[in-house]
Amino acid sequence: MSGEKFQAHEIRDFIKINYKYTMGGQSKFFIELKNNKKLLGTKCTKCGKTWMPPRINCSECYEPADWIEMKQTGTIEVSTIVWYTTSAFIKAIPYGVAFVKLDGADTALLQGIFSENLVPSKVKKGSFVKAVFLKEREGKMTDFFFVPEDEYETWINKPEYEGGV
Amino acid sequence: MPNRVAIIGVGITPFRARYLDKTYFELAYDATKLALDDANKNGAQITHKDLESTVYGIYNELFERQFMPDIFTNSYLGMNDKPGTRIASGGATGGYTVRMAYAEVASGLSDLCLCIGLEKCNDCYDEQTGVTTPEVLNAIAYSADMTYEYPMGMMAASSYVSMVNAHYEEFGNPTEEQMAYVSIKNHGNAMLNPKAQSPMKVTVEDVMYSRIICYPFKMLDCCLYSEASAALILANEQKVKELGVEKPIWITGVAAANTDCFIGNRESIGRLYSNIEAAKAAYKMAGLDYDKIKEQIDVAELHDAFSGQEVISYEELGFVPFGEGGPWIEKSFEKPGEGPWLEGELPCCPSGGLIGCGHAVGATGIMSTGEAALQLREEAGKHQVTIEKGRSIAHSIGGPGAAYAAVIVMANEEGLKKP
Repeated sequence: MSGEKFQAHEIRDFIKINYKYTMGGQSKFFIELKNNKKLLGTKCTKCGKTWMPPRINCSECYEPADWIEMKQTGTIEVSTIVWYTTSAFIKAIPYGVAFVKLDGADTALLQGIFSENLVPSKVKKGSFVKAVFLKEREGKMTDFFFVPEDEYETWINKPEYEGGV
Repeated sequence: MPNRVAIIGVGITPFRARYLDKTYFELAYDATKLALDDANKNGAQITHKDLESTVYGIYNELFERQFMPDIFTNSYLGMNDKPGTRIASGGATGGYTVRMAYAEVASGLSDLCLCIGLEKCNDCYDEQTGVTTPEVLNAIAYSADMTYEYPMGMMAASSYVSMVNAHYEEFGNPTEEQMAYVSIKNHGNAMLNPKAQSPMKVTVEDVMYSRIICYPFKMLDCCLYSEASAALILANEQKVKELGVEKPIWITGVAAANTDCFIGNRESIGRLYSNIEAAKAAYKMAGLDYDKIKEQIDVAELHDAFSGQEVISYEELGFVPFGEGGPWIEKSFEKPGEGPWLEGELPCCPSGGLIGCGHAVGATGIMSTGEAALQLREEAGKHQVTIEKGRSIAHSIGGPGAAYAAVIVMANEEGLKKP
């Protein structure tokens, strides 16, 4: 080996797996999102804590949690605007993401924040946001997103989106 | 009573953007050979055949393009017919691997154990941009919750920045300038570390004007993903005596905690609860005090994946009270000077940390532990700090929302005796 110039051999390859993935006990959340534009959380039958994203069991009490319909308005707990990202999202930059506490919820939900004017001050902590839904829904988290309250009418009037219930 | 456990050998390969001339298992071989050489320099006379077991820290199958990469590494290291166990705990994989290797020896399952971390991420390649990083980030993004988080475009930086932004909302720091100081310090310290990937002299302006990644993190606030392997050889007390090891570095405290990976479920988003719990438990095990830790150790190798998160870690690890992390780093920049930053109340990341060395995920926490051990042997090289108390810590954090954290406390012979 000594004295011989090293030459690397590289191969192109990929890993791809297809799924038909069951959402299990959380299925109702996605079915209601898709069919009725409802955002369902759960509430522990013992301690009363609301879970959003929903869990059909309370991880603190080890008791069942019942489905409840959540409000579609909430407050930004924390946010960021992404300017450099993964290969799957790089065409979407810049985009906003935020942890949103829906009114009445105990936990905050990660969601996309859309704005006509996506700047840090527009999506800062404490900003009021409302859910906007895609007209063509698949029963996935990407079926909805949040917009600043004062932009709600603008967004629901775009042809591909609509307001909630 | 558990056996006492010492680090007797440290082997760290250079951290590089890409090794075209080595696979992940070939890198692991290099680190193992370096660790054996170091143990032998440290008085032992051992070969790989003396190692009774291996604990592997390998984070991401998609990087290695191989599920169960540990078993293929096991073959290449000549460790067949012995137990090998893999740990995968996100960015904290290294720290968790040290913890399990410690347990392997402390429990009496092995007298001599190889603790090795490895990662080779930059074989990932994004065809659309013609570079590696977006595909590396995508391979990491699958560590976010696939149902609720991945579809939102969540990735490592946007996850960590959420905690930093929430901390800023609560305490008014770290400011962007204070975060820049961490970048200056760690890139600067890396100039003394020949194994570092990103040695650089940078200014506040350089950091502030570097490319925005996700608000307010800029390029120079973020570590680069790296390729490397790092190995430790752990021995119990009897083996240390039997082999005549000259400078054993004792692991006196080791602890980890998993906090809620859903950031939105946490009581306060601006807290890394995993850090707090791991640090408290590790210090307690070592007989040290969370409120006085800064006075009880000589040096800390922290997990500075992002500058702002190092600042928060100062608080969570007990160096300064909550809310005072930003002012603390600022204070160390009050005196004019160009570094290196190896002095002060408590030197943090003399190696350059992740920002200076790079982040070879599975190897990183083992590199940090190895660096903190070499400091106590006073064999760290040009980035050696002054050792007076004989104790150091290494810190690992990772996973969605930094859910995993591990803290390792080490002492040299003098450090065991001092109060």
